[in-house]
Amino acid sequence: MMHAPIVGPYLLGRHNALAGRGVSLSVVDRVKFRAEAQIAYEAVLPDPATRLLTWTWPRWIPLDGTARALARFEWLERELARCRLPTLLVWGRQDEVFDAATFAPRFKTLLPHAEGPILVTGRHFLQEDSGPEIAASIVDFLARIDASPSAEVAS
Amino acid sequence: MTEIRIIAPPPLESTRHAFLLAEDRLGHYPEFRDFFRRAFELERVGLATPGYISAPSNGVYALVFIGRSGEPFPSGLEIYAVVQALEPLDDTTVDRDLWAFLRWMMDGVGGAWSADKLDATGRLYKLMVAGT
Repeated sequence: MMHAPIVGPYLLGRHNALAGRGVSLSVVDRVKFRAEAQIAYEAVLPDPATRLLTWTWPRWIPLDGTARALARFEWLERELARCRLPTLLVWGRQDEVFDAATFAPRFKTLLPHAEGPILVTGRHFLQEDSGPEIAASIVDFLARIDASPSAEVAS
Repeated sequence: MTEIRIIAPPPLESTRHAFLLAEDRLGHYPEFRDFFRRAFELERVGLATPGYISAPSNGVYALVFIGRSGEPFPSGLEIYAVVQALEPLDDTTVDRDLWAFLRWMMDGVGGAWSADKLDATGRLYKLMVAGT
């Protein structure tokens, strides 16, 4: 419904439905989100012009073989599969938009050398529920990269 | 609340068109474009005049259909309130009228789309106009 013509500009543009409600629906601890973080989302989306991507971007996600962005996403998957950069996969355990059981293995298939997926408490906006835990995982990941023999050769 | 009527072009003397919403891709779901083509006889009317509607508040709104080379017509839509030139918009009234317009559109498009489903979405997002 949110992607329907005119509904998107009305709900997401005129009413700021993403920052006003959408993110809150996609976190585990809504009380904490509203108290601590929602104001930041609203601050960066103060008017309909700034909210343009909140309703235009989701429409680019291909849902079938006729989608206008299908070729671009197929290209992205091909290039991702060629990527050899160190990778850490972190996923929200309660993500209902891109559920872990379906989509995390997909990334693991494309990036077989990746670490993870590490499942953390979180829905689609997992950083709001597990920010410190995610940050610690990233710090640890980067430290191990820096300590690896290949990093010494590269430096 | 849902009373939307397509009306003849109104007298525009001493009025202005106050921009409200723009939809760049009316054919994102093609059935929406088809609905507007049918409802406003766009095969016949084309770009000759906006489509005008009367809303529950009795306010008049102009639907300006956008044509884009290489794309089926209409490719986009802009919605304007037709108001007295020197008068401000009543935002609450406009919002109720726009919601009524969306409900009318949904029922007109039909199929998997309905005003009831729109209302459910509106309630989920806690919009006053959706009865929350």
